[in-house]
Amino acid sequence: MEPAYAVIVPGSLACGLIAGWVMHRSDFCVTASFRDFFLFRDGFLLRMLALLGVASIVLFETGRGLDILHPDPFPLLGPPALTSLLGGVLFGVGMVLAGGCVVGSLYKMGTGSGLGLVALIGMIVGSSLYAFMHGPWRELAAATRMHPEAITLAQALDLPPPVLSLPLAALGGLLLYRWARAGQMRRPGHAAGHLEPWRAALILAGVGFASWLLVGMPLGITTSYAKLGAITQSWIWPEYIAQSPFYATSSLDYTPPIGGGQLRGGPGPALDAIAAIQYPLILGIVLGAFLSAHRLGEFHLRLRVPPRQLVSALLGGVLLGLAARMVPGCNIWHLWGGLPILALQSLLFLAGLLPGAWLGSRILVRHVIR
Amino acid sequence: MPEILRLDIRGQICPSCLLLTLKALNEHANRLRADTLEVVVITDDRQATATIPETSAKMGYRAEVDRLDAAYRIRIRIHA
Repeated sequence: MEPAYAVIVPGSLACGLIAGWVMHRSDFCVTASFRDFFLFRDGFLLRMLALLGVASIVLFETGRGLDILHPDPFPLLGPPALTSLLGGVLFGVGMVLAGGCVVGSLYKMGTGSGLGLVALIGMIVGSSLYAFMHGPWRELAAATRMHPEAITLAQALDLPPPVLSLPLAALGGLLLYRWARAGQMRRPGHAAGHLEPWRAALILAGVGFASWLLVGMPLGITTSYAKLGAITQSWIWPEYIAQSPFYATSSLDYTPPIGGGQLRGGPGPALDAIAAIQYPLILGIVLGAFLSAHRLGEFHLRLRVPPRQLVSALLGGVLLGLAARMVPGCNIWHLWGGLPILALQSLLFLAGLLPGAWLGSRILVRHVIR
Repeated sequence: MPEILRLDIRGQICPSCLLLTLKALNEHANRLRADTLEVVVITDDRQATATIPETSAKMGYRAEVDRLDAAYRIRIRIHA
């Protein structure tokens, strides 16, 4: 076993445990940030997301300045292509219909939510469906590539990263200050053990920083959903999984910051670097939320849900899983990790996510909630 | 004492919790404003314990939250 795994596995598990606990206590939900803005013109959670983003920029730039964050930019990000924007639209629709994003559904499942479990099953199915369109989609990504090799906006413009990030953080800080002065950064919480969302935003930014420091990248989990789909299918039709070009890809190939070595991994069923990074993170998020709910006496299985909402969670999950591979990457990966370093894929993802979340909100109120 | 309209939406998550509550508040606005009705929401969605009182307050209602086993009870009435 590679020595780096001695840091990566417990590091990811700890990040997941903290994230799961904190998200449950604060009801921190990225899906709700966008959905509630479009449905109710309620920008409270969107402001929390802005705080997380600004805090992440400051932490990441500090880490870069101290030369402690490696690799930089982190792996799994690619050059920008129109496919990230299209995937972002589908992702936005899916997360609203599912009732939570790839991490939100996990932590809700950890508290006993039947909808969270159904959405997770949908995500695994959606990730598996992507395998059938991998070839043409990869060709479309190559045909619509907007820059041959730049990963970040700073690279595309040939500028040092702080020249763009620090003014953005200053502008964001000014906005946050004005919102705080107007009392718009706090909302009374009545649930037991409530953690104020602004505190959660800061802790989650710290978790993303810790993950880059220890593992070599911020939080991300969706390749594992494809992996779980591959494992399940390999019991039924092993020949298909062995011959599928998608499951043979090795999307991750990097040197971790601690322990060295060359780690590789992809969506195939093998226990590789993706599994070592993401499985403990997934386990940690579910376990962290479970422990938090159990401690408050709030854990119980919630399976009595209107059928329309169950179908919506399943279909939303399928769209989420599919879109996460089309982008590639999820909202946590791009909004908490890529956007603070102004990754071009993440900017395109956000540009697609906004109309997608709006569309998902319209579908939700018209066809799901009665 | 006002009549009680009980809305048991355990198992559901936001935004359905808030939307179903809003639907009840709008449908029974006259009786709520006359203080002849109290809407009682039973929910196990933690987010709803923040969004429902906040939205109720914006509509001129008073919402009180208390624990009910593993869930929460939100009582909504017109301001006294």
